[in-house]
Amino acid sequence: MNRYPTLATKTKTWRRWGTLCFMLVSLALLAAARTRPHYGGTLRVEIEGDAWTQGAHQRGSLARRLVFDGLTRLDADGTARPALAVRWASENNDHRWQFWLRPGVHFHDGSALTASAVETSLTGSCGAGCPWTAVHAVGSTVVFTADSPLPNLPALLAGDDFLIGYAGPIDSSATALPGPTIGTGPFQAGGLSNGVLTLLANDSCWQGRPFVDKIEIRGYVPIRDQWLDLSVGRADLVQVPAEQLRQAQQQRLTVVSTRPVELLALAVADSGALGNQNLRAAIALAVDRSAISNVIFQKQGEITAGLLPSALTGYAFLFSPDPDLDKARELRGGLTPPPLTLAAEGGAAMQLAAQRIVLNLRDAGFNVQVAGNSGPRHTDLVLLRLTLASNQPQAALESLLRSVGVASPVLENTPAGLFKVEREFLDTHTLIPLLYLPRAWAVGGRVRGLRLSRDGVPLLDGASLEAAP
Amino acid sequence: MHSKSRISPKRYNPRKRSVQRKLNPMKLVWLVAMVASGLMGLAAYAAPSPWESPAASLAEEIAGILGPGQARLTIRNLSTIPSDEIPSIRLLLEQDLKGHGVLASGVESANTIRVTLSENLRERLWVSEIVEGNETRVAMVHVEPGISQPAQPESGLTLRKQAVLTTREPVLAALETPDGLVAVEPDEIAIYAQTAEGLREQKRVGIGQKRASVRDPRSVIAALPDGAGFDAYVPGMACSGSHLPAQPAGEWTVHCRESDDPWPILVGTILQSDPASGSISIKAFYNAARDYFTGVVTPSVDAELPPFYSAALLPRSDGAGLLINGIDGKVQMVESGLAKPVAGTRDWGSDFAVLRTGCGAGMQIIASGSGEAAADSLRAYELPGQEAIPASAPLAMGGTVTALWSAPDGKSIFAVVQSAANQFEVDRVTASCNE
Repeated sequence: MNRYPTLATKTKTWRRWGTLCFMLVSLALLAAARTRPHYGGTLRVEIEGDAWTQGAHQRGSLARRLVFDGLTRLDADGTARPALAVRWASENNDHRWQFWLRPGVHFHDGSALTASAVETSLTGSCGAGCPWTAVHAVGSTVVFTADSPLPNLPALLAGDDFLIGYAGPIDSSATALPGPTIGTGPFQAGGLSNGVLTLLANDSCWQGRPFVDKIEIRGYVPIRDQWLDLSVGRADLVQVPAEQLRQAQQQRLTVVSTRPVELLALAVADSGALGNQNLRAAIALAVDRSAISNVIFQKQGEITAGLLPSALTGYAFLFSPDPDLDKARELRGGLTPPPLTLAAEGGAAMQLAAQRIVLNLRDAGFNVQVAGNSGPRHTDLVLLRLTLASNQPQAALESLLRSVGVASPVLENTPAGLFKVEREFLDTHTLIPLLYLPRAWAVGGRVRGLRLSRDGVPLLDGASLEAAP
Repeated sequence: MHSKSRISPKRYNPRKRSVQRKLNPMKLVWLVAMVASGLMGLAAYAAPSPWESPAASLAEEIAGILGPGQARLTIRNLSTIPSDEIPSIRLLLEQDLKGHGVLASGVESANTIRVTLSENLRERLWVSEIVEGNETRVAMVHVEPGISQPAQPESGLTLRKQAVLTTREPVLAALETPDGLVAVEPDEIAIYAQTAEGLREQKRVGIGQKRASVRDPRSVIAALPDGAGFDAYVPGMACSGSHLPAQPAGEWTVHCRESDDPWPILVGTILQSDPASGSISIKAFYNAARDYFTGVVTPSVDAELPPFYSAALLPRSDGAGLLINGIDGKVQMVESGLAKPVAGTRDWGSDFAVLRTGCGAGMQIIASGSGEAAADSLRAYELPGQEAIPASAPLAMGGTVTALWSAPDGKSIFAVVQSAANQFEVDRVTASCNE
């Protein structure tokens, strides 16, 4: 087994990074306007998923990010910065945190942002699954207490799960939106009509009025139709799945892309048929990541066997991504588990990847079938996508672990300590990292100043339109 | 078991029999060689390798795991360290390991030390996998990233930048004072005092902005004629600061009030050929909701001005001309009551300022490039007629130029640069003539 990349592999890697850099340059070219941004106009977005929630399996809803703010936000390097909270402090070895609210902030309906509103919103958003034990409003501050230390709480509060808002009436002629709809963000939800979600500029936004007057998000549009609409000027911003990045370049679309931020991983049940750890280890050794990367994702991903990408840690190479069928069979030994089911979250590419994994597992002696949409609810294996929530390795690791149900905080912050945490978790073989994929969008010619967040969500509050009136 | 030990009798250094004895030629050569080698050693000591410290740390960690003995050492480089540096890193590691009793060799050994020189976005990381039989243990040390040298621009007129202030807070405008610097931020005015270590924040005063802030805020700050204070303008507010020279910087008094008064956009702009022009002052009304000047200025000029982002006064053959950069991206020269388009400005961004260099025509326009953002640049232009002619190579600013203005004496300009990491740097930009 060759653990080290050959020169040819390195060259290919550099070539891929070269392509990525080209895309990042494209991003840079779009990142600011030729002149200062103009105000006005309607920016039209098309997406594959639901216009409001963007689909249950996709974190980072574009619309919700524009309507709601968190207590904190993450800057480009992943550091927590003030948002609705202007400052914060921890006590008692990070068991107690106090956040001071920004004064003068109002919700879209004109009501003032208060600590009790924040408490209600946060309690409603995560319920019993919150990282903290209790949250209380104390004057104009919000106090969190926890049984375990929460060193990463400011970064965690920047996540989508903890956006501040509440349910309220919007445009009466439009279809109601689920969950909270009233926030403090740069746009207010104007309603869903004929499949188009309208967001209106918030003139009194605490961050300043956004440049465009209105954003229209049309949901459930297939990628092919999105690209067609972009080419004829019916849309300004459309999605580019990682597996179609090369095709987008060939069609000369203007593409903005992130670094690899989306982890494609196989979740393995640690009970039932796969309760035996050796069986789970055998599954991990049977998966051929190169085939998935090369064939299905068109070499746009970064193969990984670690939870965090190499760009964040520098030690990802310590987790070998190479398959070893002999060792997988050896670990399986004489055990013959009953037939297993594998489900895949997401679209066609995920289904193809699931089928490829099934072939790998059959080679190692497992009997696996891909579960269809009408298949059994319980599955032994789930192919899913997880989003890298931060550029800070400690916060990113904690967020990833939380998203797969490991609630204990990551207290280590040195490379060696983080490696130990990753190693211990991966040794349970309940999650098998496969690929890191970039997120990308194609942009129309009249959009100026568009940037993507670290996790690939367009920051439309800073974008403007060149031909705006 | 018999152990043989020899104890040498204590001896003093023998006295030199003759200090005046002639040195023979071979000894002289040897002495010169020794002195030269000593000097080279000193030189090496004076310039230590940047890898010494991480190599020593990693060797210590490896030895702590492996203990004294022999091991096979392999090194691979996954980082941006040039490959010609690897032999010296290997030598350092071997020496440091030897110091801890670990003899690193290339021969087959039961133990293997696999060192990988890696890196992430923030730092370099040296990782050692220590393989003993079936067991592999890992040690890591992090290495501070190296400093890259910026490329030097090449041109007849050379622009240079010097960082004055770096801060996490967005700076809209700044004014150098005799004792430091005053920076205008969207919500506060920050006063810095000059110390031996550089600028140190002394005081912050809230502007008390009551109306909703704007997305692309701008500001103007101008020194009072007596030098004992400033007037600063942000959208919807005006602030006055005063300071008694005898008092420390912390004794600034700043008062802010709501105001829609016009902003002084051209104060004391000096026309080289006309010293009296130093008194020129033009104010412009600002659209606080849309972040541009409306086109209404006072005192009025003989032409109707469109809404604009930037303006500058330039000496022209028949007096002075007002150069404006409209919100439609068109640059126009207003002179003799007429606004005429200026060619050669297609690559200009929205901001420009006038720099008095003494080179060429004496004054140049410094315009931000429309290099569109993450890597903005500044470039000098001359405007002999109706066409802007480049007068320098672009000066890379390392981020997005968010504000640009001339210093009161016109001999330098200031730029605010927002980096990708969201840091804000106030840079002083000067020019030198390469003749």
